[in-house]
Amino acid sequence: MSFPIVNFDRFLFAFTIASHILLVSVSIGLAILISVVEFLSARTSDKYYRALARRLIRPFVISFGVGTASGIVMAIELVNLFPGFMTLVSKTGVIAIFYVEVFAFFVETVLLVVYAYYADSFRGKYTRWALTLPIVVGTVLSAVLITMVNAWMNTPNGFNTAAFVATGVVSGVNPWAPFLTVSTGYEVLQVVTAVPLTGMMLIGGYFAYRYLVAPGTEERTLFLKGLRITVVASVVLVALSVLAGVLEIEGLYQYQPLKYAAIELNPTPGTNLPITVFGSLSGTSIVGGFQVPGLQGMITHHVMLPGLSQYPSSEWPPLLIHTTFDIMVLGGVLLGLFLFAYVALWAAHRRPFDNKFLAYGFVGFSFLTALVMEFGWATDEIGRQPWIVYNVMTVNQAANYSTALIVPGIVIVVFYLLLVPLTFYFMVRVFNGRPLDLDLKGPPVGNDANY
Amino acid sequence: MPTTNWLFYINFAVFSVFLTLFITELMGAILLLVAYERSKHRVLEHVVPIWEVTGTFAVFWVVTADFAYPSMLIPVATLLAGYIVVFLILLVARNASISFAEFIVKRTWLDEKKLYQTYAASTLLLGGVVVLILSAIVSGAGVDLATLSFSFVGWLTNPGSVPYLLGVLVIGVGLAPVFYGIGELRRWSLPLTVVGVAIEASALYLYASSFLSDLFLVPAVLTILPAVLYQSSRTAPIVTNKIVFGVVSCLIIFSQSYLVYPTAFHGGITVDAVTTTGPMVNAFLLLSAVGIVLVGLLMALYLAVVTRSGRLKAGGTPPAQPQESAT
Repeated sequence: MSFPIVNFDRFLFAFTIASHILLVSVSIGLAILISVVEFLSARTSDKYYRALARRLIRPFVISFGVGTASGIVMAIELVNLFPGFMTLVSKTGVIAIFYVEVFAFFVETVLLVVYAYYADSFRGKYTRWALTLPIVVGTVLSAVLITMVNAWMNTPNGFNTAAFVATGVVSGVNPWAPFLTVSTGYEVLQVVTAVPLTGMMLIGGYFAYRYLVAPGTEERTLFLKGLRITVVASVVLVALSVLAGVLEIEGLYQYQPLKYAAIELNPTPGTNLPITVFGSLSGTSIVGGFQVPGLQGMITHHVMLPGLSQYPSSEWPPLLIHTTFDIMVLGGVLLGLFLFAYVALWAAHRRPFDNKFLAYGFVGFSFLTALVMEFGWATDEIGRQPWIVYNVMTVNQAANYSTALIVPGIVIVVFYLLLVPLTFYFMVRVFNGRPLDLDLKGPPVGNDANY
Repeated sequence: MPTTNWLFYINFAVFSVFLTLFITELMGAILLLVAYERSKHRVLEHVVPIWEVTGTFAVFWVVTADFAYPSMLIPVATLLAGYIVVFLILLVARNASISFAEFIVKRTWLDEKKLYQTYAASTLLLGGVVVLILSAIVSGAGVDLATLSFSFVGWLTNPGSVPYLLGVLVIGVGLAPVFYGIGELRRWSLPLTVVGVAIEASALYLYASSFLSDLFLVPAVLTILPAVLYQSSRTAPIVTNKIVFGVVSCLIIFSQSYLVYPTAFHGGITVDAVTTTGPMVNAFLLLSAVGIVLVGLLMALYLAVVTRSGRLKAGGTPPAQPQESAT
């Protein structure tokens, strides 16, 4: 009876976080983009950059508003769905990470309010841009801190894990240790590149499409300027993402060898293993897909790599993660090639922005980037199963078995299915809500509340 | 000699700020539902910039509670799982509707008024869930700690519950014109606030006679005071000042900490016994000290910017006074 409820807990949290990271990626992308646009506006006094910043802030407030609510949903869902996990978190220094995240959140919120509603009351040339910097810092720091929690779940520290597994009692607590586990560095690098990349690509895809279909010269100029920034940012971020991916693979075979073996679908350990693309495991053999002999060994400098045979099959994560990982890598490679081709054409003065196929390609690749990010996250989370805290606490030990969750949980799912598309719809609608002429001029704003 | 449980008081202080901000939104929500056109300017100029901050304080409170009372997480999650999920749905609906409403321009089937009223309705319902959860934590109504179960019928049939909810609502209606400076509703403010406090007192008595001790006089007097001061045009600007009102509201809420300390759930749980210990206490205090200074500076920046912006807009004139009745 209890098992379906645990799986419902799993499903509900996975569904919520999958929706949340989509909203957050756009929020982070918008925060960075607004900051860059404000800088360019201050530096060049270009009216299009000024108008673009004014237009972008409106969808940003919406994505931030819905994203923060969704973040609160996740924070409280963790307590509600996995109270055993949150009890362990709250008895160790991991809760301190959440606590610091609250303050990052405050920086982001208060400065966003100041920037969105009161920035026009400042007259300094670079003041608007300066106000965006703490928003970017707060937004990125929030992502960094939540990734620190995820890193701790993969490689826990800061308490006596052996004693906890044996007795269930938390002892030997170091409240500061969870801020830096062995996997924190590469996980953080992966997130701070992949998440903004998704946001930039989604925004860039929209700009590419609008540039192509916009009726007037002024609108086309606006979208072209936005598109150029998102292309440059995406190229930088995709290159950093590749670096982060390489570091993450190295970290995985050192610190989470079973997850690594499952991701690479290595039946046995070895130093000169092939790369297996797709396929599945049947007994101890690979069925389907294809292999590139020796490539895995070459990439990892022929160190001894782990294999599934070293672990009891009851501890294996679902081997589906091999497929999700391959889709992620394949999608990432295609995206890199597309962006490389796009920039090469741009460098050769071939105006890729005007090419209809490349514009629609950009839209397609923006959705692919979101898919790649979701598959990457799924690989990480499913790869830790059955553990919620690796080798310390299983999901079954952490879960809430209350049946009272099911009906409101289903309502949450339905609600999110409506909310996420509606949010993106409204973001587009408010972006285009005012005539461009008004944004090119720039209105004053103010508030006469009695403070 | 017993030592002070600083973790409880910090957590309760954060809760007081969160609830204050939330109550100002609740009062605005009531006005948006019953007198949209007359109140929208006054309500929205406060609510639109502040609703994000309210949410952030909610997270602040939840995280300090997780930090301070780790062993309470499983009981609370088991007891109130369904209601917490309902709370979350309403929270997202609130955030989504107000952020959509802020920037909607074209008048189609979904216009600004409908979205703001959706925000108001979700906020009011959210308030109902919050009151239900808080009253259960205070009184233990509907709660069975032995089996870790919560019965809505049990809560509802407790003689204190409906008056508790009603009292909060009546006080909210009574103080809304004060906070938002709606002069037309001035004459209703004092009687409604007094009646609300009386209902609240009876609710606490019905929950447990011990709740209605001398300590209740502090929040009762502080709640009625703004409504009294609002009656005179000389003293009204003091209480319509949002900072003054906010500070008084924080004091009202903080002064009710005796309802959940030293025991919560009407004696069911001893707070000191469930408070974290060891090195986590110092970590909590250190992070709280740094964080509270940071939040204080950010709020000071916010208020300075708002005040400056208001002055610029008014061309150097003093802040707005409460509107006099048009009749």
